[in-house]
Amino acid sequence: MTRSVLLAEDEPHIVESLEFLLGRAGFSVTVVSDGEAAVARAMADTPDVLVLDVMLPGINGFEVLRRLRAEAGTARLPVVMLTAKGQREDRETARRWGADVFIAKPFSNAELVETVSRLAASGTS
Amino acid sequence: MARSIIGARIRERRRSIGVTQSELAHRIGISPSYLNLIESNKRGVGEKLVGRLARELGVRVEDLDGAAERRLLDQLRDVAADPRLSGLGVEDEQAGEVVGRFPGWARAIATLARSERELAAMVRAMSDRLKHDPFLGEAVHRMLTHTAALRSASEILTDVPDLEPAQRERFEAILATESRRLSDVGGALAAYFDRSNTTRVAATPADEIDAVFEANANRFAAIEAAVAGDSPSPAPGATTEDDLVTEAEARAGGAIEAVLDAAADLAGEPARARLRARLVRYAADAIALPDAAFASAARSAGYDLDVIAARLGQPHDRVCRRLTSLAPAPGRPRFGYLATNAAGVVTECFTIPGLAPPRHGEACPLWVNCRAAVTPGRTLRQRALFPTGLGFVFVARARQVGAPGFGSPTVHVTDLLAMDEHDATLTVYAPGRHGDTPAEPVGTSCRICPRDGCLHRVGEMRAGG
Repeated sequence: MTRSVLLAEDEPHIVESLEFLLGRAGFSVTVVSDGEAAVARAMADTPDVLVLDVMLPGINGFEVLRRLRAEAGTARLPVVMLTAKGQREDRETARRWGADVFIAKPFSNAELVETVSRLAASGTS
Repeated sequence: MARSIIGARIRERRRSIGVTQSELAHRIGISPSYLNLIESNKRGVGEKLVGRLARELGVRVEDLDGAAERRLLDQLRDVAADPRLSGLGVEDEQAGEVVGRFPGWARAIATLARSERELAAMVRAMSDRLKHDPFLGEAVHRMLTHTAALRSASEILTDVPDLEPAQRERFEAILATESRRLSDVGGALAAYFDRSNTTRVAATPADEIDAVFEANANRFAAIEAAVAGDSPSPAPGATTEDDLVTEAEARAGGAIEAVLDAAADLAGEPARARLRARLVRYAADAIALPDAAFASAARSAGYDLDVIAARLGQPHDRVCRRLTSLAPAPGRPRFGYLATNAAGVVTECFTIPGLAPPRHGEACPLWVNCRAAVTPGRTLRQRALFPTGLGFVFVARARQVGAPGFGSPTVHVTDLLAMDEHDATLTVYAPGRHGDTPAEPVGTSCRICPRDGCLHRVGEMRAGG
């Protein structure tokens, strides 16, 4: 069975690379480019893993995570937070809101794909 | 009198007018060996004798032992006490000799030391600016984003052997575009630093004291321990604030001095005196609201400011300060606290990570303390969203200060309790607990706020935005 990834990212070139890489790793990838859409999509069709950028238009990634964690259907959805802000405070905020993994940009393709694969295989959603 | 100055000054003046030690000793009626001891700073000099010496030397008494010299002497002793100079063998005991005989050199040393402290303060302020400047924050964000796109595309090009020509072409195009964007960010950064003025940003004594509290996460364990003895806390209303301060000084004097000694880089006496006063009040707060009992009462009240204040019979500002000083523990929120005066100036600040209060004017008027200031006695809550993406929950309430009574001017101070959004979920102030709580976009100060189209903006954002 094909595993699914919801990619919430608004930088088109990063989306292009990640879509290619995750597709090549056997995932079906759905892309959204703002926070509201990420919440709506994750609730409507819960993916195996959510790759979530922090700095999204509209509501930011932390707020997306907060709303998803408050809903029973997405409370345990595996989430990889992706951000260009590698500051300690952001890591701490992501951790507190329940992100499973926090990866700072610029990331390594191999690390990202391996992390998503591991979370999808853990089947905690 | 500061005999370490006066002896050198007497000898200097005597030599300059060509009088021998024995001759001067004879004229003022003491033995030459005693005068020698005085000039060597080994004996003090009484007021009458100073008067006779001044008369014989043709100078004023103040010229032998002036206040300016005493201040200079204190400054040199501060320099000598600098731990960075501890290995240099500075002759601390000779400071008086230097002031007395070489006042110009003494002033030069003191001036350099003061300048060094000011530069250190400027570096701290610049460092703070680098951390919070929205243009720099945005530029770093863009740089990392473009670098991430570059890295990902280049790894695909090198690590994926079976790329189809069209895919290869596509990722090469991404490399070209992202390289150009990265160069643009680099150029913008260079231009920003070219434009960026080097105006001095002096740290104020209040800033320095806030920094000491911040460095200690608003908690001084030694003071808590010092006041936590067997003596019971006074019942609310059973003691005056003055009594509490006296008790605080008696119980925690030593611990307070230790904190002051550790804060050796305070720029001057005003900062030191202010820090001491704040620490004494910290101890008084700890006596009025002892650590463990307060932590338990606060938790059982859901950290509700009004409930805690009412149950414990203590003023809101004291409750706020004690909340900031709670020891970190699992499931226990961290609190920041700001007090603002009627003009909106932050007079006191206990910060928490990520929260940058507007200390130097042009404060954002959208913070809830501005609303609370016009509705004294009412507690208001706000879910505040900052341009950095960080969210905080603010709780504000204005209280009257000064003597009450008809005809007395009414002055209010507004207390603002701050917690990050996650910590707020551990309290009665959790967003959503009392109906929907929409996040309100706020800033720190107009000077550095990147929000477009804000109706409340005062002046323009600094260059680079």
